[in-house]
Amino acid sequence: MFVDKKLIVSHAPFWHNGSCIGERNYHIMLAALPAIIFGIMQYGSAAIGVISLAISSAMLWELAFNRAAKRPDSIGDGSAAVVGMVLGMMLPATAPWWLVIVGTFVAIVIGKQVYGGIGANPFNPAIVGLAILSLSWGKFMDFDAALVNYDFGFTAVYPLQLVKHASKNPEIFNVADVVNSFKIMDLLMGKQVGGIGAVFGLGIIVGGIYLIIRGFIRWEISLSFIVGVILTALLFQASDPTRYACPMFHLLTGYTLLAAFFIATEDSSSPVNFIPMLLYGAGMGMMTVLIRNIGAYADGIIYAVLIMNVANPLLDKIRPKAIGKAV
Amino acid sequence: MTSKKELQLAYGIAIVLLVVGVISFTAFSAKPPEQPVRLVFTGAAGKVVFTHKTHADQSGYGIACKDCHHHPKEGQGDNRACAACHAKDDNVAFQQKNCSECHGENEVSAQDLKKKTDAFHEQCIGCHKQQGSGPEKCAACHVM
Repeated sequence: MFVDKKLIVSHAPFWHNGSCIGERNYHIMLAALPAIIFGIMQYGSAAIGVISLAISSAMLWELAFNRAAKRPDSIGDGSAAVVGMVLGMMLPATAPWWLVIVGTFVAIVIGKQVYGGIGANPFNPAIVGLAILSLSWGKFMDFDAALVNYDFGFTAVYPLQLVKHASKNPEIFNVADVVNSFKIMDLLMGKQVGGIGAVFGLGIIVGGIYLIIRGFIRWEISLSFIVGVILTALLFQASDPTRYACPMFHLLTGYTLLAAFFIATEDSSSPVNFIPMLLYGAGMGMMTVLIRNIGAYADGIIYAVLIMNVANPLLDKIRPKAIGKAV
Repeated sequence: MTSKKELQLAYGIAIVLLVVGVISFTAFSAKPPEQPVRLVFTGAAGKVVFTHKTHADQSGYGIACKDCHHHPKEGQGDNRACAACHAKDDNVAFQQKNCSECHGENEVSAQDLKKKTDAFHEQCIGCHKQQGSGPEKCAACHVM
């Protein structure tokens, strides 16, 4: 009788292929380098200060918590460095030093370590840090006000804020005209105001594709997030093109691309199964555009991520059918 | 559990980046330009991003400094920021402190000066109307 073999396990000894969490996290940092280098070129030494302090202070907060909680030092896995780096990428280059340090404290201690450290955090730590900074010190996070001393040579207004304002004042502005004042190629090449590592769309995409090809992030989440953003923005635009921006604008402004490849894909706060990953990404993309178009905030990424993080355990209940019979 | 080698690398990265960060924030902190590029005015009706360089530069609208910075007059002192004289409310102490650098104690009355909001509105809207260009409606300048 033919017996279909479902599982085959070879005999010992087993061999470790050498990959580790640290390797993965340092590759994530490597993938973010193009976007960060562009940010440094655009914003100067101030950006170096913010990114360097964000990474180092995140690592030192983790080290301090490890020592206080009498746990083994865990900064070697690179997780804290990635959290600090992602937070730094979302900050304006003019962020004061104390804001960076408070942000990394919230991200590492409140967003990660109190839950038990790596793999145990229910929310994306960098987004928790950013949410607290935005709520508590919003004026430092206002890109229009923060970057007043930079003479860029392009429209130096935060695109999402401008479109939000235009959509609220249809008697004065036409959103389509406002969107058309930003060229898609300019947005892709980083000619826009925003976070240090969030403006250079092309660099983020290249880094993201590298991470997907190497298998360090799940393509299901990135792709479904982008599809979610595009479809939702398309529906809004089709309903009223004078009030809602086109999908490409949503994709290339704010933290969208950063979220697609560096935020939504964070392990601990995202699902592990195929269908849940698709739902998680698509839901996050949809929430992002919903908040941008009909919510109170110019960029919806922060709360879209937090809301989907909450939904994550529920989504992961959708599991593949178990092999074999239940006893 | 991380290896000793990974930990040493992490300690190294943390220390090097901390030093770079501290040096960047102290020795290489960005100095504000001599003339403002843009200014952001905040108010209850929303912030206003004023493109100072575009208004003042010859490549922009080329408006003379003294058309806006009307006091002190030409040759009598450096230009002052609008809010150096025009206070937000009846802050007599604030105005007296600023005016006393050049004026006697009873020479200037705080009540004689326009409040900051009125001064800005008069200056911006007045000029836009006079030139027949630039925004005039509230939401064209004020962004919530």
